[in-house]
Amino acid sequence: MMQKKICMLGGFAVGKTSLVRRFVSNVFSDHYRTTIGVTVEKKSVKVDDRDVTLVLWDLYGEDEFQRVRDSYLRGSAGYILVMDGTRKATLDTAIALQQTAAKAVGAVPFVSIINKADVRSEWEIDEGVIEQLREGGWTVLFGSAKLGQGVEELFVKLATQIVQTSPIPSDSL
Amino acid sequence: MKSWPDNLALHNESLFNAVLSTLDMVVFEREEDSAEFRLQGLPPDWWCMWVGPANGTVLDLGQCSPFLRDYLVGAHPIWGGQSGVTEKSGPWTEPDRQGGTMTLEATALSIGSKKLLLIERLGSGFEQMHAIVQRARDKMLAEDVTAKSHRKAETSLMGQLEASERTKDDALALLQHLRLAALVLDERGCITFASDRGLEMLGLVAKQVIGQVWEQALPFQRQDRSMIREVIDASSTDRTVGPLYIEGPHPSWVELEIHRDPRHLGRQIVVLSDRTELHTLRQALSEQASFHDLVGKSPTMLRTYQLVRDVAQVDTTVLIEGETGTGKELIARAIHFSSARKQKPFIATNCAGLTDSILTSQLFGHKRGSFTGAVNDQQGLFEAAEGGTLFLDEIGDIPPQVQTALLRVLQEKEITRLGEAKPRKVDVRVVAATHHNLSEDVVRGSFRADLLYRIRIARVQLSPLRERREDIPLLAQSFLGQICTATGKRIERLNPDALRLLMSHAWPGNVRELKSAIEFAVISCKAKEVLPIDLPPEIISAPVIPSSSVWIPLPNRDEKSRFLAALSDAKGNRTEAARRLGVSRATFYRRLVELDIDPR
Repeated sequence: MMQKKICMLGGFAVGKTSLVRRFVSNVFSDHYRTTIGVTVEKKSVKVDDRDVTLVLWDLYGEDEFQRVRDSYLRGSAGYILVMDGTRKATLDTAIALQQTAAKAVGAVPFVSIINKADVRSEWEIDEGVIEQLREGGWTVLFGSAKLGQGVEELFVKLATQIVQTSPIPSDSL
Repeated sequence: MKSWPDNLALHNESLFNAVLSTLDMVVFEREEDSAEFRLQGLPPDWWCMWVGPANGTVLDLGQCSPFLRDYLVGAHPIWGGQSGVTEKSGPWTEPDRQGGTMTLEATALSIGSKKLLLIERLGSGFEQMHAIVQRARDKMLAEDVTAKSHRKAETSLMGQLEASERTKDDALALLQHLRLAALVLDERGCITFASDRGLEMLGLVAKQVIGQVWEQALPFQRQDRSMIREVIDASSTDRTVGPLYIEGPHPSWVELEIHRDPRHLGRQIVVLSDRTELHTLRQALSEQASFHDLVGKSPTMLRTYQLVRDVAQVDTTVLIEGETGTGKELIARAIHFSSARKQKPFIATNCAGLTDSILTSQLFGHKRGSFTGAVNDQQGLFEAAEGGTLFLDEIGDIPPQVQTALLRVLQEKEITRLGEAKPRKVDVRVVAATHHNLSEDVVRGSFRADLLYRIRIARVQLSPLRERREDIPLLAQSFLGQICTATGKRIERLNPDALRLLMSHAWPGNVRELKSAIEFAVISCKAKEVLPIDLPPEIISAPVIPSSSVWIPLPNRDEKSRFLAALSDAKGNRTEAARRLGVSRATFYRRLVELDIDPR
């Protein structure tokens, strides 16, 4: 079975852990508990009739207290950039992390998601900025870990891209 | 850097195990040959529970978490490098066997030739650090929510402000479009708003008025400002002031309506209305009822006004004829102030009752020493009136010698001071007045015919008041206003019965007598209107004649009785008696002689 390491990247409290928990365990908690360090989860998805196990590295949120270590990104087959639509600053963090990740692991597939689509009226990230990201080659999805919207699609889309860019089956730890 | 011996070992195994237990740590040594990690000492309980009892002393990498596997791959350089170098994995979370999680951290180090791997379970120190970061992030999120709430409120307020500005702009545009003249005053009386039309009407620009106290900024006269202040301060419902005169390149009249701002009772909204045209029209109407200080709108008076205008246009001598008290001096003044000489002096003198020498000296002046008491050179009234008008009242009473001198002045335009031989050129217009019939005086020989012809080039004949009774209400109201202003009494009108009495009175003293009667009434009056009882007794007691009747002049016998009664009432005081009769002292004295009354 194909295993792929995927890092969850983003500012603090954007919902990385919530997305992983919704995807892996289909649970959600409104209570925010910050992540320190790394939690690794696994879940298999089917891509083009092939089972792919996603090894999800839920990294701590980047802020002034914690910087993401390059070593954690090592060996990643792809990564997910998570933003909080209600906090524009998380877009800047995502852009910085994308550059960090690109330096650390090269041009591996990545997908971005703007979380908290359940409170879309409160979003500070507007369509113009999103369009600019897409024009820059980003895949930008909207989702809500709270409602489960776009979560499965997020991981499957990245898995698909990863599989498509690595045609020869190989296990990756 | 400290170097360690290759055969490093803790000789006391129990102590080593105690250290590991205290540190809650498991230690593996990496064997060079097999690359296996072999357990050193006793592992803590959590490790045994996590890896399970079946696992022995070698770390099974296949069973390890992906994080640890990944770390152990990356930690190779540490073990290949210098002794004493360490590298921590950073914390990671693993599920424990009890359904919870535990946070672990691995450390790779080499001591001498030994390659060691330490795995510790992070305890209370980590939890404290976690709690601190959690609090910090919670606070940042809360601040973000607060900031967002503030931004939202700011956006909302900005929206309201913009809407308010738009409404204000719309209202202002409407205001300007309607050409409404308005000002807004704040609680301190400072002007906070002035419409374009308002500024235009006041002849000002915005920077002259905005922020200024209205009393300093607005071009009203002092007494008008007091009126406005009274209205602003008062709680009366009638809050209209004006029309008020505004000086400037384009003088105008404005009326002010002062409203309290219903939103802020301390503020005032002042609406200005241009009343210039209305005022001009009113003035035109008023001028028909008055002319200079003359009051009356009877056909007789209207003809008189026109005659005065006509006479004023020429520079001839004028003779004004009329009974005493009909306002001959007012006519003379009106002629002067309507003429081209109005910027020059107007001098009036009464020629009655003066001796030759006094009158000559008064009119023509004298040289020092020319007569007893002439201690200085003195110019006469002709010289004093140079360029202007000399009004000679009671010219019919001038002694013959003075008549001759006066004739010479009128013919030659020069005077000679008493005691001097050299004549002086004068440019004076003479307006004369008399209650006499000078033609009869000429026949009697008391007045020079040539002087009469010289002074009677233009004639104005004034009707007695009894012949223009329709002017009595107007005159009475005018005098009432004048006297109230002078005395400070607030009497608004004449009671109809009082007016009826005034209309019925004979008025032998003419307008002067009427004015005197009104003065008397104002002094007596205690109410807002003049009542019959306030009028002088001779008016109250006089028989009321029907308004349609024609006034019949009283015979001299009755007039003599009135003079005697007045003298008696005034206890022989001739000034008071003259006042009571409404005639001047000069007239009073003259009439005493004519009526053959001994004042004693």
